Parts: sequence; C-alpha cells; structure tokens
Amino acid sequence: MQISRGTGRPLLAQLLVLVAGLAAVAAPARAQLRLDITEGVNDAVPVAVVPFGGQAEGASTDIASVVAGDLRLSGRFAPLDRQDMVTRPTSGGEIRFEDWRLLKSDYIVVGRVDGGGTAVGFELFNVQTGQQLLAQRVPTAGQSLRAVAHHISDLVFERLTGIRGAFSTRIAYISVEGKPPAQRYRLVVADADGFNPRTVAESNDPLMSPAWSPDGQSLAYVSFETKASAIYVQRLATGERRRVSARAGINGAPEFSPDGTRLAITLSRDGNLDIYVLDLTTQALTRITSDEAIDTEAAWAPDGKTLYFTSDRAGNAQVYRVSLADTSNVQRVTYTNGYNARPRLSPDGAALALVTLDRGYRIALMDLKSRNLRMLTNGRQDESPSFAPNGAVIIYATQDRGPGSLAMVSSDGRYQERLSSDRGHVREPAWSPYPPR
Amino acid sequence: MTGFAREHLRPLMGSAGLHLLLIALIGSAALRWTTAQPPVQLAIEGVVVDARDLPKSVRSGKALRVPRPDPVKEARPPPAPVPDKEARESAEQEKARKDAVAAERRKQDQIEAQQKKRAADEAHRKAEAEQKKAAGEQARQQKDAQAKAAQDAKAKAALEADLKRRLAAEEEEGAAVAQSGVKDEYRALLVQAIERNWIRPPSARAGLACTLYVNQATGGTVIDVKLGPCNGDEAVRESIVNAVYRASPLPAPGDPRAFERRLEIVFKPTE
Repeated sequence: MQISRGTGRPLLAQLLVLVAGLAAVAAPARAQLRLDITEGVNDAVPVAVVPFGGQAEGASTDIASVVAGDLRLSGRFAPLDRQDMVTRPTSGGEIRFEDWRLLKSDYIVVGRVDGGGTAVGFELFNVQTGQQLLAQRVPTAGQSLRAVAHHISDLVFERLTGIRGAFSTRIAYISVEGKPPAQRYRLVVADADGFNPRTVAESNDPLMSPAWSPDGQSLAYVSFETKASAIYVQRLATGERRRVSARAGINGAPEFSPDGTRLAITLSRDGNLDIYVLDLTTQALTRITSDEAIDTEAAWAPDGKTLYFTSDRAGNAQVYRVSLADTSNVQRVTYTNGYNARPRLSPDGAALALVTLDRGYRIALMDLKSRNLRMLTNGRQDESPSFAPNGAVIIYATQDRGPGSLAMVSSDGRYQERLSSDRGHVREPAWSPYPPR
Repeated sequence: MTGFAREHLRPLMGSAGLHLLLIALIGSAALRWTTAQPPVQLAIEGVVVDARDLPKSVRSGKALRVPRPDPVKEARPPPAPVPDKEARESAEQEKARKDAVAAERRKQDQIEAQQKKRAADEAHRKAEAEQKKAAGEQARQQKDAQAKAAQDAKAKAALEADLKRRLAAEEEEGAAVAQSGVKDEYRALLVQAIERNWIRPPSARAGLACTLYVNQATGGTVIDVKLGPCNGDEAVRESIVNAVYRASPLPAPGDPRAFERRLEIVFKPTE
C-alpha cells in the first residue's frame, strides 16, 4: 500500500500505485536511515466538520454542529472552529486539501441534505493523503435530522477509531424539582448528548436507581410512590410496568443481568442490607451475600457469573466481588483510599468505574488486572458512574455547590464535559445499551 | 455511624416502615454513605453509613493494605558500544599500511635508480677503455639523462604518496562524519519531529510494530510514504502515515552530509 498525497485518482492509477507500492515493499530499500518511534502525543485528533449543504444558516438542526459536538464529546477528536474554515465544500470534489492541511486538520467531513430532505449524503476524507474513507447516503425516513446526524457521527467514529460509536444511544436519569417536602421526581430518558429529554415516570415520592435492560427496551427503577420502596420494570415503548419486588424493608439498587433474565437487587428483609438475585420469569429469589455489614450496589460482570458490590464489612465502604457459583467466596477488590463504592464494569469487563474518596468524591477507573486506580474526575461530589456501551466514555452525576448535573469523562480521563441540565437537580444517570443495528 | 445504622435500622424496620421512610427521608446520613450535608432525597444505595462518623478504631484499625510491589525498575541494557574507536583504529591501520606501501615504493625506486646509475658507470668505463679519448660531451649527456630519469621517478613516487595520503585523509573524514554524532543528531531531530506529530490512538499499545518507508525531497518535504509490515489496526495505520505527513517538511540535518533521502521508520511504542 502506498499512500501519496493527492486528490481522487482514477482506479487504474490507484492500482498501478498499489502494485508499485507492493513491489517497493517487497524489495527492501537500499541505503536509508532507520528511525525508531516509541512515543506519540495524547492529543485529540483534529477534524473539520464543514457545515452541510442544503441547510439554511440557522436551521433548527445543524447536522455538522451535532456531528462535531458528538466527536468532541467522545474526547478523541478536536473539531475545527467553524470561523476558521476558509472554504465550505459540501462534496469531495470541492475540497482543496492544501487548505485543510494548513488548518492542521487530519480529517474532513463534508455533506449535504439531498432531494428535499429525504436523505443526507456525507463523505469522510483523510486530509493528509486525500484518501476518501467513507461516502454514504443516509435516508432520513422518519428519523429526525438529529438522529441522522448521530448516525453519521457513529459511522465516522467507527471508521476512524475502530470502535463502534455510541452517539445514537440514550441516557436515563432522575431529575428532582422543588424543595422538600414538596418535591417532584421524574425518570427521564434523553439522547446521549442530553437532547430530547422525555419523562417516562413521575412521582411526588422519590424515584431512584434507573437501570437499563440489555435490549434497551425497559428500565428497572425504585419508586416510593406507595410510601415504601418497590422495584418496577417498565417498558419504554408502551409505558406498561410491572412491580417485581415490594418486600418488607428496603428494595433497592436493581441491575439487569447481561442476559436480561435476572435482576441483582438489595433487600433488607433479613435484617440488614444484602445482595439478592431475582429471576424475572420464575420470581425465584436467591440470596447472594449474608454478611452482617451492609452489602449493596451490585453490578454484573459481562459474563453474568460474577457480581461486584459495595460493602462496609471492613469498617468502611469498599468494593467486593462474589461468584454466583460459590457465594461463600467473597473477595475484596479495592484497597486504595478509604472509600470505594458504586462499582460498574466496563463493557469488556477489564475495568471498574467507581466512586472513590480522594480529597473529594471522585470518579476513578480501576484496571482489574493491574489493580491500578486512576482518577478520572476531580469534583467534590461526583457519583453514579455509568459506561457508554462502547466503554469510551463514562457519564456521571456531579454536584459542586449548585444543583446536581450530568457530566461525561472519556475513560482515559482526557476529556470532560458537563451536560446542560434541563431543570432541577439531576442525578443517577444510566447509559443505555446500543440500539439494534 | 455504623452503630447508629445497626442500632436504629432494625428496631425501626421492626416497628414502622413509614417512620423508617420519614427518618430516611429527613434524617441524618440516609442519603449517601458519604455526605455530611443533610440529604435532599432518600437514596437506597447510600443508606446509612458515613465513613467520617465511624468510630476511629473501626476507621483506622480495620483498613487492610495489600502490599504492593515496587514499581519494577526497568533494567536498561547498557548503551550499545559506539563503533568509534574500532573504526578510528582501522582507519589508522589503513593509513599506516598505505604509508608503508608508499615508503616501500620509494625504496624500490631508489634501488632502481642506483642500479641504473651503476650500469651507466660501467658503460662509461667500457667506453673509456675502448676510446680513451671518448667525447666527454657524450658522457655528460648520458649522465644528465640518467639523472633526469632518476629525478622523474622520485617526483612520481612523491606525487603518488601524496595522493594516497590525501585519499586516506578523505576517507578518514568520511568516517568522522559517520562517527562524530552528526548522523545521530539528525536521527534524533527526525524522531522528535515525528513523535510530536503522532497522535497515538488508544489501540497503539506495547507490542505494536509498524514500519513505514518514506522518501523525502532535499528540503525535507515528504514525497511518499509506503506502509511496510504492520500489526496495528486501521486507526493505527492511518495515524502513523499521518504523523509523517504532519511532520513534513522534515527537519534538515545540522551537517548536510548527514541527509538521507530514504527513511525506514519503525513505530514500536513502549508502555
């Protein structure tokens, strides 16, 4: 493969170049200087997302700005400021790559809304080589332009990183308005960038702990609407819901098993808080922990065979792990810092996001192999981390003097951004799984 | 606070769930294990414990510590021996050898001249014997010619020796460029320029090994980049090619003789 600069080349020329390139690789070069590169920089990749054609200035959904926002939020890309764009090409043929090289962009996305808004075409190029990396027409067919834009972000992100984009996913969270005793609780589902919030449950009594089913169709959550805690599972499409646990005492912290058939929950029916697993089809309840201490906030490992949870059995909150096959074998996982709680497994199961106390309550990532704990945020009151389904970003709730709001941090800690909260106090975000392809 | 929770939770749950709820809602540390601030809402997960309220003995006494290994210090291999001395030695040997050859040549030339002179003397004596009245003129001419031949031979030998000396000196200088660090300096400049421009994707981990063959123009402009063997994914391959183009024009060497048009660049990140 030879990568030379230039604009689009005819196929034959490309083939010739390819053949020449192969020959060159096959025959080792003669006199040459050898360099070993062992380090790189950790910067975000500069990318230009040019305003799409066929859209009026100030259109209600500016596709390019949604795509640029998505890419920025991923922490891996640094979109070029629009005011720095000298030209505004809307198709590959109009791109003068030298201009964009001078602007130090590595990639460029151009596109336009076609055929009276029935489709959006876009192209992705490598600015350095002039190579076209993607060219697609996305039919709008019933979707909002915002959804189309998120889809384009997904495709661009996946092509450039090799990681599936999570921009078409959703987040669920609890919003609280008003002051006690007159408070209004809402369970809200919004786009992953915080747009399009939709209330799916409302109550004057506390709602908490939303958890997505693995198919993204349902949410489990805790409601105090009957003045006692109970766990509900609600289908989002129909609003139909089922009360799955209303046992004496506390019913809390539901988390779906990876196969969606069971819920890990926290109950106090036997005197103190312990972890149980509830089979959603048979209603069978299995006790997992029975320590005198408080055990709560269970999280499933992706294999569905292990639970991670918070316990104060050592005198302060730490994360433990228990195998469902042998519940007598409980292992302590965290040792750094005097407080580690609310574990969540990364989608690949290799890391644990948690809340740790280190000058403040901060979100940290623990590598399960090396046991290294890495600080991701430096807030005073950060809580409830939840992974995007691609593991690249973590959403969490943060409270710093003002009311709680949502924020995101890339799982390498490089990029952080606060989402504007619609209203009230926002907490306990949960990131949805991928939508079906 | 653990005591508080344990003492109060159980009787409360035994008696009245509603009261529990109210206590939890309004009451002390029900919100988080963590907050000292009055909780706004009841949070199940948080129930009950504030680490700061724990009895000191519990807090300090029970915290376990896992002995963590010292960060492994990487044993660095000793720096590769610079072939400086060896090369200089061989250059010196070469020069000595050449000097010896030149000297030998000179000696031979002298012997030759002596032999010729001896022959001329003989002839002269013969001529004297044959013609005692031989023409002194002729003899003188002959003598002159011989002297000239000897002189020429000497001059030629000197010239040759000088040429050889100069050649050897040039060779030595070439070796000096190669050894003096000018090349290393150039290499370092190039490495720095490319490393600064390599936006390393997360998939570029230790164990990655990718080779690029790069051609540059005299001014450092990158002409083309060919991808050689590479075990990285598409994001890695694109990032390394872009790193070289981003670094174009590549830095010029301090000594123009160190310039190399063709570069073989191996990306093998550590860590």
